[in-house]
Amino acid sequence: MRHTLIALVEDRPGALNRILGLLRGRGLGLHSIAVGDSETPGVKRTTVLVDTESVEQTIKQLNRLIEVLEVTDVTNAEYVVRETALVKIQVPEPRREEIRTVADVFGARIVGSSPHTVVVEMTDTPDRLGEMIARVMAIGACETMRSGSLAMPLGGPARRAKIAGPEDTNQAWWSQADGIS
Amino acid sequence: MTDERTGAQVMCEALVREDVEVMFGIPGGAIMPFYHAMWEYRDRLRHVLCRHEQGAGHAAEGYARSTGKPGVCVATSGPGATNLVTPIANAWMDSTPLVAITGQVSSSVLGKDAFQETDITGITLPITKHNYRISRADDLPSVFHEAFHIACTGRPGPVLIDVTKDAQQARVVPDWNTPLNVPGFSAPVGIDRRVVREAARLLAGASKPLILVGHGVIISGAAPELLAFAERTGIPVITTLHGIGAFPEDHPLSIGMPGMHGWVHVNRAIQECDVLLSIGARFDDRVTGKASTFAPRARIIHIDIDPSEIGKNVKVAVAIVGDARAALCALLDEMQPRNAAIWLRNIRETQATHQHRQPYLRRPDTSELMPHDVYAALNSELNGRGGYRVVTDVGQHQMWAAQLIEWRRPRTHITSGGAGTMGFAVPAAMGAAIAHPDETIWAIVGDGGFQMTNQELATIGQEGIKNVKVAIVNNGYLGMVRQWQQLFEGKRYSGTPLSGPSFAGLAEAYGLRGITVDRIEDAPGAIRAAWDHDGSVVLDFRVEREANVFPLVPPGLSIGEMITREAPA
Ligand SMILES: Cc1ncc(C[n+]2csc(CCOP(=O)(O)OP(=O)(O)O)c2C)c(N)n1
Ligand SMILES: [Mg+2]
Repeated sequence: MRHTLIALVEDRPGALNRILGLLRGRGLGLHSIAVGDSETPGVKRTTVLVDTESVEQTIKQLNRLIEVLEVTDVTNAEYVVRETALVKIQVPEPRREEIRTVADVFGARIVGSSPHTVVVEMTDTPDRLGEMIARVMAIGACETMRSGSLAMPLGGPARRAKIAGPEDTNQAWWSQADGIS
Repeated sequence: MTDERTGAQVMCEALVREDVEVMFGIPGGAIMPFYHAMWEYRDRLRHVLCRHEQGAGHAAEGYARSTGKPGVCVATSGPGATNLVTPIANAWMDSTPLVAITGQVSSSVLGKDAFQETDITGITLPITKHNYRISRADDLPSVFHEAFHIACTGRPGPVLIDVTKDAQQARVVPDWNTPLNVPGFSAPVGIDRRVVREAARLLAGASKPLILVGHGVIISGAAPELLAFAERTGIPVITTLHGIGAFPEDHPLSIGMPGMHGWVHVNRAIQECDVLLSIGARFDDRVTGKASTFAPRARIIHIDIDPSEIGKNVKVAVAIVGDARAALCALLDEMQPRNAAIWLRNIRETQATHQHRQPYLRRPDTSELMPHDVYAALNSELNGRGGYRVVTDVGQHQMWAAQLIEWRRPRTHITSGGAGTMGFAVPAAMGAAIAHPDETIWAIVGDGGFQMTNQELATIGQEGIKNVKVAIVNNGYLGMVRQWQQLFEGKRYSGTPLSGPSFAGLAEAYGLRGITVDRIEDAPGAIRAAWDHDGSVVLDFRVEREANVFPLVPPGLSIGEMITREAPA
């Protein structure tokens, strides 16, 4: 099953490499990964879409990596997902109007053009991006570039990424007493 | 400035500060500054020059496994570093604290396919707890401290530090006061009393409970607590290959080893038990057989320091995450005395009906010496003496050793379990021998594995190591593979017959003593002679070539389905 994980990762050399290597080594399918600065210097916040049979295992494995500070599975939480696409469409001048119409329908913008091409930018859910791309592909040959999904849970406080000391780590996620009637 | 040091001196200083007394390695261009500095520290830091980096790595593992302290190995860049990959992977699989130090080409040429440049941090990414590439000498004090901390804390494991040549040469004023800063590395803190009470409740209600003991008990030094716990609760104790030694096998509650080559009564007990308390074991497939059929009636209580082990291979009812010793102490507090005498009697009855020691087929056309004769002789000699440890390699001889020797003390049985690395025993025994010069270190090894790393006999000779006694169980085959070919592949012995030189002659050539044994009556005397000889010895036991290890769970089956003897021809 596909899970949306949010990981806080210390910005050390090779950190991303380790995450990717772990997923590959354990035979898990990586659908997308988006990485960028968090509000705290030295900490990256990443959104990982991964196919895994046991998300609990995957989270624990990720937590074993030294640079990984925290991993949350938001799949079943309320959250928003956004992805950005840049689409270059090869389309002659007379048909530009059609592109403009599609862009308007989807809330996309034309951000640049050349004599033979226009570039459309759109930020929305991955599904909506897919729909828009399908529409413009019917108009002309396309080259697409997508950022990978960003996820943000709606509830809970806005938390500053904290580089916690070991004494601060919450024990809850590794204690478990289930299956007992 | 007077406090100025080279990076290489800082590395030596860091090792001294971490209480390192010995390291195993081989020099080369990219690590030469470190060797240069080592000279000044030679009264505090012993360097053992090995004959192959794999040997250096396994020697460091043997040192670590026999002492509980981190082992240190050193190699140059490129091929030196890649030769360390096997021992690093081995330490990773067997949770051995190991710090590997490699030289790297200078930063100015890094990334340019320079001579002997290899991305060793990239290569060892999936087989280290963590690794570092250091190109600034200023980082050395904190990185070395962090590396040792990570290697030894929580579930131990290997850490690699790759240091560029220019960082070793740079002059710096080391700052030893940087506080440890690894926020993402969280070893579990306390034991959760709530889950401990749940576990105690399950155990109290069990009528057929079992304790499964793994490496974690030995690593955490919990053998005394385990003994107290077993005696208070009367629960029978199983020891996995790596749990061997955590519980004395001559104790009435010890029932033996489970799994692929475990005993029938042990595997049956697992399939029948209602509560299984696993302590520091990770449910490897060699223990569980087909995992979905493992212990089908049992609620499993899993004590492990690594949260990612919980629920990885088997479904767990109660998980206690933490140090095995702390968890056992907490659990002991919650348990009332009880016993499981009827259950234990049932197990013993199964044990009595299924021949405990395996049936051997003697064939007229080969040596009259059977492997079990060697183990019987060795076992009775071990029984009469103290001060020994045994390191085994990988193959039939390893399983026979686990089965046929009566194990009693933690860290006296050292083997390559998780990775199954042939060639482990001789160098690891050397490392253990250096750590324990007053003890006798036996290496039990096959003729195949012996020929993978026997060049370390030269190291043993050069270092004047007198307490390594190598027993080669020489069957002229890659025996374990041949056994599978015999049982499952219609006796197609493809790539398994194996010759070798005169191993006794080889030992003599290396300046050690060599003894060849091919008759039963000579075995005990030869073992005694080797033990009493003031120097390291190689014993070549020429045994029956086609003896097999039984019982055996065929691959992919449940551990309830064991082959206990050869099908009649
Ligand atoms: C480095 C390595 N290569 C190959 C194997 C596969 N393997 C497992 S047991 C074995 C046979 C070992 O033969 P030997 O050392 O003579 O021991 P025996 O089984 O005969 O006691 C082999 C080849 C391995 N475990 N490790
Ligand atoms: Mg052999």
